[in-house]
Amino acid sequence: MSQSTVSARTYLFTLLALLALTLLTSLLALVDLGRFSFVAGVAIAAVKASLIACIFMHALYETKLIRVVMTGGVIWFLILISLTLGDYLTRGWMPFPGK
Amino acid sequence: MADPIALAVREQFHSPEQQRETSTVGMWIFLITEVMLFGGLFTAFSVYRMSHPAGFDQGSADMEFWLGAINTAVLICSSFTMAMAVHSAEVGKNGKLALFLTLTILIGLVFLAIKFTEYYLHYHDQKLPGILFHDTSPDAAYVQMFFIFYFLMTGLHALHMLIGEGILCTMLFRTFLGSFSEHYHTPIELAGLYWHFVDTVWVFLFAIFYIPGAHMK
Amino acid sequence: MATLTLVEPQPAPTQPQLNYLTEKTGLLSWLFTTDHKRIGLLYVFSITFFFFFGGFFALLMRLHLLLPQGWLFGHETYNKLFTMHGIIMVWFFLIPSIPNTLGNFVLPMMIGAKDLAFPKLNLLSWYIFMLAGMTTLYAMIRGGVDTGWTFYTPFSTSYSTTFVITAAIGILISGFSSILTGLNFMATVHRMRAPGLTWYRLPIFIWSMYATSIILVLATPVLAITLAMIGIERVFQVGIFDPNLGGDPVLFQHMFWFYSHPAVYIMVLPAMAVVSEIIPTFSRKPIFGYKAVAFSSMAIAIIGFLVWGHHMFVAGESAYSAMTFSFLSYMVAVPSAIKVFNWTATMYKGSIQLDTPMLYAIGFVALFTIGGMTGLFLAAVGLDVHVTDTYFVIAHFHYIMVGGTVMAFLGGVHFWWPKISGKMYPEFLAKLCALTVFLGFNLTFFPQFILGYLGMPRRYAAYPPEFEVLNVLSTAGASILGVGYVVPLIYLIWAWKFGAPAPANPWRTTGLEWKTPSPPPKHNFEETPTVTWKAYDFEAQKEELQLG
Repeated sequence: MSQSTVSARTYLFTLLALLALTLLTSLLALVDLGRFSFVAGVAIAAVKASLIACIFMHALYETKLIRVVMTGGVIWFLILISLTLGDYLTRGWMPFPGK
Repeated sequence: MADPIALAVREQFHSPEQQRETSTVGMWIFLITEVMLFGGLFTAFSVYRMSHPAGFDQGSADMEFWLGAINTAVLICSSFTMAMAVHSAEVGKNGKLALFLTLTILIGLVFLAIKFTEYYLHYHDQKLPGILFHDTSPDAAYVQMFFIFYFLMTGLHALHMLIGEGILCTMLFRTFLGSFSEHYHTPIELAGLYWHFVDTVWVFLFAIFYIPGAHMK
Repeated sequence: MATLTLVEPQPAPTQPQLNYLTEKTGLLSWLFTTDHKRIGLLYVFSITFFFFFGGFFALLMRLHLLLPQGWLFGHETYNKLFTMHGIIMVWFFLIPSIPNTLGNFVLPMMIGAKDLAFPKLNLLSWYIFMLAGMTTLYAMIRGGVDTGWTFYTPFSTSYSTTFVITAAIGILISGFSSILTGLNFMATVHRMRAPGLTWYRLPIFIWSMYATSIILVLATPVLAITLAMIGIERVFQVGIFDPNLGGDPVLFQHMFWFYSHPAVYIMVLPAMAVVSEIIPTFSRKPIFGYKAVAFSSMAIAIIGFLVWGHHMFVAGESAYSAMTFSFLSYMVAVPSAIKVFNWTATMYKGSIQLDTPMLYAIGFVALFTIGGMTGLFLAAVGLDVHVTDTYFVIAHFHYIMVGGTVMAFLGGVHFWWPKISGKMYPEFLAKLCALTVFLGFNLTFFPQFILGYLGMPRRYAAYPPEFEVLNVLSTAGASILGVGYVVPLIYLIWAWKFGAPAPANPWRTTGLEWKTPSPPPKHNFEETPTVTWKAYDFEAQKEELQLG
């Protein structure tokens, strides 16, 4: 195994991409986009996280099992947040007090 | 002389390949437990942010945005050096492995230094939740709530960074002992996975704490 | 039909070689072991202690409830009793019981492995568990906790004057033990199976333990962070869940139940795992609908994460949220029902032997069915409004956890006892105890369904006089149940030393663990087996197992 999984060049390009995205998100933050500020910030963060996971953490180069584990974790977090927020978002939808 | 590869394989495994794959699966499973750990906090944060966006935006405006942005860049660089450390281990270059591990440790310390500076600044501005908190904006209760989550989540993150520093120092020590080669360097890979994960968490923390109020300064 | 007697005509077992018990002796060899079998036994000691400790609190409660106005304890003390009973039983008995005792012991052997993937992590799990237990015991000795095992805010964060933080820390630490166990099991099942052992050749026990591990790994961290938040709120007097400071108590409930509902599947899936091994063995038939049973284990684990809001129907969640959770709760009953149908179909036209493990397994199926169906009553929002926080709920979950999990645990202990100890337990006495447990259990908890439906609230130290008869019946049942638990403890200890030596495969059943001597050697298998047969293939292995 004296072969590296990922070349140093790929790591370098990923680093530059991540730094560029950080700059982008910082510049966007200085503009008042209203509610969209938060969404845009999280979306760019998600792109950065994917780059880190796929390249630095080798998720693209590992077995399918690893990708399933990783995706499973993300999905489970989404279950937690969506069903919880779902409660709060649907409060007051029925014409009864407290519902 | 005993075969170093054979020595490194534990008795429950029948090959180095099985050991490496199993350890990697194990580390990834551990990382998704961390996703759920931080996920609970992200969820709670989202509930309050959704119900009180003004207070949370105000809290975000009280953050030192550029310190956060610089810290994000700093941590990303440390992920790069960590990835290069793994790369060096994979090709058997122990000297470069030691160099990149050291760089990662140092850059991580820079991150922590900036972080603790920020904490001190918040303390100075009376933004520490609890009896020391003082704020005059209209939604002060939720500015405090913002800071409760800020300290909880970045604090938990900083704790993970400290543990990571400890792990990396151990890896550096073992590198000097000559434990790793191109045939066996699984602990370096696992340490890398952990470090990158901690970086990923920070990327999201930056997005939820620093970005929303940055335009309000 | 006469039950099969066990020892003859098998060849007389010889135990001159070293096995996992004898290969190294002395206390230190146990405290520093990495052998999954020894660690399983370390856990047996721990959880047995906690079971009787938690059971002791239950006994005190039932004694107190003999009289409508109570007589033994004040109300504050009663609050502490039900809290401590719940905490001990949930986190220090039910969750670790089957996975960490039987799972640890049997799982690697069933897949032809020498040990788990991470044996040292396994030992660490036990030490963490013991640290957690000691911390929680400390909270109890110092004066206890009175918040209920559910720690609802703002009482637990702002008003309770008891040892909430210590107990929360103890439980948080136990969570790490759970996570490491789940991680270990998952990695093991993925990467340490013997050659030829594909997923669809695995015993159902492995499928169910794997499903349990998924829950352990994904749910427990949310509990950890929730308890940490309670601790921080108490220590730093900040208001995450405190309405006075802008916090939301319902948010606590969302986060708490996100873990605690899947937690009940952590308790029941391993029990189903055990039953899925016992029933084919004592019916001499492969499990009916192997893939359906395997997939239903996974379905229970997954859907089980989507139903937590059914604990919050009256807590203030939105109506749409309640409807969603109600619907999903009905869905989760489907895979459980599939299992019940398949166990029954396995027994149909089988060659039934009513040995002790089978008695416990059949008892499990009956009681789990009642418990599960009453769960559906509770999943209906309208009915839940009437019976929530009454004894109906208590009866429901005790039917599953005690009538289900504890009975399956006892069944599994008896089933694998010959393998673990190399000895046989006394069969007649064991059967008598199984019947005692079944009768005592029903007498204890069936009246509680009626009490709940009639309106007796849970967690109350006193009740209206018209409920007295049912409460007395329940307490009588509890005493009988207690006897049914104590006697096996005695005879199993006796059998460890004085029981008849057990052959390698006393039940003449399939499964790799039965191909090793009783007790097994440290590394389980001289040579890793290569598996070319299906699970439960009694027909193909007829000669080898000397089946008539």
